[in-house]
Amino acid sequence: MSNPTPAATAQSSAKPKLNLLHLLLEGRAFFALIAIIAIFSFLSPNYLTTSNALTMTSQVAIFGLLAIGMLLVILSGGIDLSVGSTLALCGVFAGWLMQGVELQSLGVILYMPVWAVVVCALTMGAFVGAVNGVLVAYLKVPAFVATLGTLYMARGAALLMTNGLTFNRLSGNPSLGNTGFEWLGFYRIWGVPISIFILAATAIAAHLLLTRAPFGRWLYSTGGNARAAELSGVPVRKVQVWVYVLSGICAAIAGLVLSSQLTSAGPTAGTTYELTAIAAVVVGGASLMGGRGTIRGTLLGAFVIVYLGAGLVIIGVSSYWQTVFTGAVIVLAVMLNSIQYGGKGVKT
Amino acid sequence: MIKITKRALLAAAVSMPLMAGSAFAEGLISIIVNDPANPYWFTEGEVARATAEELGYTANVSAHRGDTNVESNLVDAAITNGAKAIILDPANADGSVGVVRRATDAGIPVFLVNAEINEAGIAIAQLVSNNAQGAALGAVTWQSIVGDEAKYVEFFGNPSDNNAATRSNGYNTVLSQYPGLEKVAEEVANWDRTQGYNRMQSIMQANPQIDAVISGNDEMALGAIAALKEAGRLEGTVIGGFDGSPDAVDAIRAGEMAYTVLQPVAVFSREAVIQADYYIKNGTPMVAEEKQLFDCLLITPDNVDQYTAPFTLSN
Repeated sequence: MSNPTPAATAQSSAKPKLNLLHLLLEGRAFFALIAIIAIFSFLSPNYLTTSNALTMTSQVAIFGLLAIGMLLVILSGGIDLSVGSTLALCGVFAGWLMQGVELQSLGVILYMPVWAVVVCALTMGAFVGAVNGVLVAYLKVPAFVATLGTLYMARGAALLMTNGLTFNRLSGNPSLGNTGFEWLGFYRIWGVPISIFILAATAIAAHLLLTRAPFGRWLYSTGGNARAAELSGVPVRKVQVWVYVLSGICAAIAGLVLSSQLTSAGPTAGTTYELTAIAAVVVGGASLMGGRGTIRGTLLGAFVIVYLGAGLVIIGVSSYWQTVFTGAVIVLAVMLNSIQYGGKGVKT
Repeated sequence: MIKITKRALLAAAVSMPLMAGSAFAEGLISIIVNDPANPYWFTEGEVARATAEELGYTANVSAHRGDTNVESNLVDAAITNGAKAIILDPANADGSVGVVRRATDAGIPVFLVNAEINEAGIAIAQLVSNNAQGAALGAVTWQSIVGDEAKYVEFFGNPSDNNAATRSNGYNTVLSQYPGLEKVAEEVANWDRTQGYNRMQSIMQANPQIDAVISGNDEMALGAIAALKEAGRLEGTVIGGFDGSPDAVDAIRAGEMAYTVLQPVAVFSREAVIQADYYIKNGTPMVAEEKQLFDCLLITPDNVDQYTAPFTLSN
């Protein structure tokens, strides 16, 4: 039974100093988040207010959803560069369905209810994920290359569908029965944006999948040592396909939430978001080699990156500094990752 | 005509770090532009910032680079910071409507500059260049230089910016009256110099003879010039831009570009902040009409010496 989070090693239990260091290293994403909140609350009175916290958390929702899917893929030892483009494609597809699909052969315009649009968009995301999965698992294309190709194809498909413009009439019409798109992310329940609820639900579902379901164990073992896993009877190739499908579905959810939040679906949405998703996974402590990482860490990573970026905007620092800081955080996180996971002997 | 001298811009830029503290004078004005890497949007932001500070406000300039999600986040930050007004160059004529409405609902007046949104009654004012007039001015000048017969290329801006279509329609209205003018290619280059360069290279491969280029903005035209220069086909090709950026004016001085149409961005950027200040102090709009058009001017080799500051022609 593999335990994904490194436990304190037996040798260090005698010396308190090493335990503290280990504790800090373990919870680095959490401490980083606390530090960021403390620093920015000091620099600006506007930062630590309820409304700002809700606003920033709803920004986290988009990257968090992408990062959850990305974590699943990275745990399997792969990478998924196409999530940003899948986000745009699914958002645009949903927008296209909301405008009404014209079936010229039957002479009708089809207006689907919002739940059907959601199902179709998720299916589109799953389809892109399946393409990635088959390329990586069965055709043995390196994950980087396969998902890079899908990135371009999905982006191109989204641009072709819209001709570079955006779909804006997403509210629907009561007489056609397709209202309610705003419930995907625009509205608030008890003052909390719905996107946060969707993020929480997806995170809990993914956490249960990883810790309670056999699939989770298969995933960790595939990422840890694919050959050993295969010999032990784990259906490695099916797992690989399924993680990309799940990543595609997460990207589709993110695309729907984003289109709902902005009340418009554009083909250029999500450009370079895959890099932020990877950053969130890395900052959260996952290993890019696969086999190590938790949902909790990934969510903390997403919070760290977004809260840092939002804080810089609020105190009025140039957006160019944001890019520098985000990069510095990632480099620091990777260094700490290698301190935790690398070195002589493997800490299990 | 207001002259914003380089010194004022430099002084404003230097004094900016001093304003970064939490002591707001009259309040904060948030200025959100597209991409300061383009001198047009850079001037838009800097002139607005300088005017805001001149009137006693703190100002910060941020960039959304055409991404409606980033625009949404920046407007959220402005609302969080309790900005007194937002000066915004919208990313998308349809897609930015929601974000403008959100700011207005939060009690912050929004003044749009350079590009419009496709809904009236939300923003307090929309200050744009008279793109139709500018496009007609540019096209007429272009045709008078090119003549009655030519093979030409058109560069189209970002399709989600209404200005792209307005300028293209303006050009076509004039140029379609001359049957001898043949458009061999029309490419979307998204206001970007590198994209203009790459597209021009491909177009040159497909078309051995190109007599002229007409572009939706200066950056794309400068990209086309670079591509033509590299291929050795610049000599004798007439290129027309739109914006009046300093790089384009240098190209006109060097004889590489034939003309450009100056957008009075320094004028309406300043005007937007002045109107914002009036609204903050009086609660009513300074100008009754929401959509305000500012006429464009022509910059040719003849009057290029009057270009004293970025986007400013002194008389």
